[in-house]
Amino acid sequence: MQTTMKKIFILLSFCFFSVGAFAQSNTTLSYSIGVPMGDLSDFVTPISWRGINLDYRKMVTPNVGVGFTVGWNVFYEEMGYDSYTVDNITLSGKQWRYSNHIPMYLNPTYFFKPGESLNPFVGLGVGTMYSLRNTDMNLYTVEQDAWNFAVVPEIGFQYSVDDATAISVSGKLNYGFKAGNELDGNQSFFTLNVGFSFIN
Amino acid sequence: MTLPAFLLGSCYPAGPEYVDDLDVVYTTYDETYDFQGQNTYAMPDKIVVDIEIEQGAVGRDTTFVYMKDALAAPILAAIDARMQAYGWSKVNISAAPDVVINPAAISSTTYYYSYWYDWWYGGYYGGYWGWYYPPYYSVSSITTGSLVLTMADPSLAETSPIGKSPLAWLVVANGVASGYGEVGRVTKAIDQAFAQSPYLKTN
Repeated sequence: MQTTMKKIFILLSFCFFSVGAFAQSNTTLSYSIGVPMGDLSDFVTPISWRGINLDYRKMVTPNVGVGFTVGWNVFYEEMGYDSYTVDNITLSGKQWRYSNHIPMYLNPTYFFKPGESLNPFVGLGVGTMYSLRNTDMNLYTVEQDAWNFAVVPEIGFQYSVDDATAISVSGKLNYGFKAGNELDGNQSFFTLNVGFSFIN
Repeated sequence: MTLPAFLLGSCYPAGPEYVDDLDVVYTTYDETYDFQGQNTYAMPDKIVVDIEIEQGAVGRDTTFVYMKDALAAPILAAIDARMQAYGWSKVNISAAPDVVINPAAISSTTYYYSYWYDWWYGGYYGGYWGWYYPPYYSVSSITTGSLVLTMADPSLAETSPIGKSPLAWLVVANGVASGYGEVGRVTKAIDQAFAQSPYLKTN
């Protein structure tokens, strides 16, 4: 048992520390503005001004970084007084709609001009996204959720402020494939992310 | 961690702001019932709000508790106005109406119980130095009121195995009681119930 643990530990160490020559990391904390698409935009129309993103990347070579991203975007819409009819039932009232999305994925990224003040990059994230949809009416809420398989292509640039800090601007397409049977569509949105990168 | 905490605490979207934001009107109807073939209705002149059971000399005695006339009158008037606008004529219950409408009002109170912990530096107590976290408890309640309107055809009771008429139309209007007896919210709900039930129209 102990030997197995040791082996796993050594393997994991290799994953994270084997490239000691470029033992650099690139961590970005950004404010994330979301634009709903597809099934999500049918549910909530407005742009989301509530979002945050954390991208951690271990630099494997000066150009290539791999790590993980965790984010949170909240979409919200207050609907006016309206009637909703299903078969012979009609319900009228105000609705409050919330859609929470927590993308979590691996983020292999290619930096074009490492070391230069303007460093453009492209990435392709692969992972999962937790989507939680609430429809509130009267004192009740209808809650639907899904764990979507997610693909997140990203394009952006980092602009150096000094050796260890950069301003980061990027666009991401958070594409969450349909999952489960509670939410009946893809959960997708575009985000504009503006933040700071810490490079060491 | 200040930024995520800030986002968590102060930026989560708001919800309802006013008590009448929570008002809802639910209607359903029997799709096989021929509303257009009917034209008279009867309705009591009081609205039942409760039932009282008293222990009498010979047995239990059940009596209805009615809504105060000052509140009931505008509600009943609103129902009459809408029914007549849809082409129905009001008749006495003894005049064999095509349908009977029964209004009732129900209130119910839901209690919410919650607690949360907060960190306090406790100093020295019970032989230990350290932190402790006392729980806070809070109980709150929300009282909701519902107006229930039923429409049934008394002639269908004869063909029913249990001798009762099935509902042709049902309305449940629910809202959070504000304690001000706002009859305007109820009459508005009645207007909405009829507006979303165009199948009642006979004219």
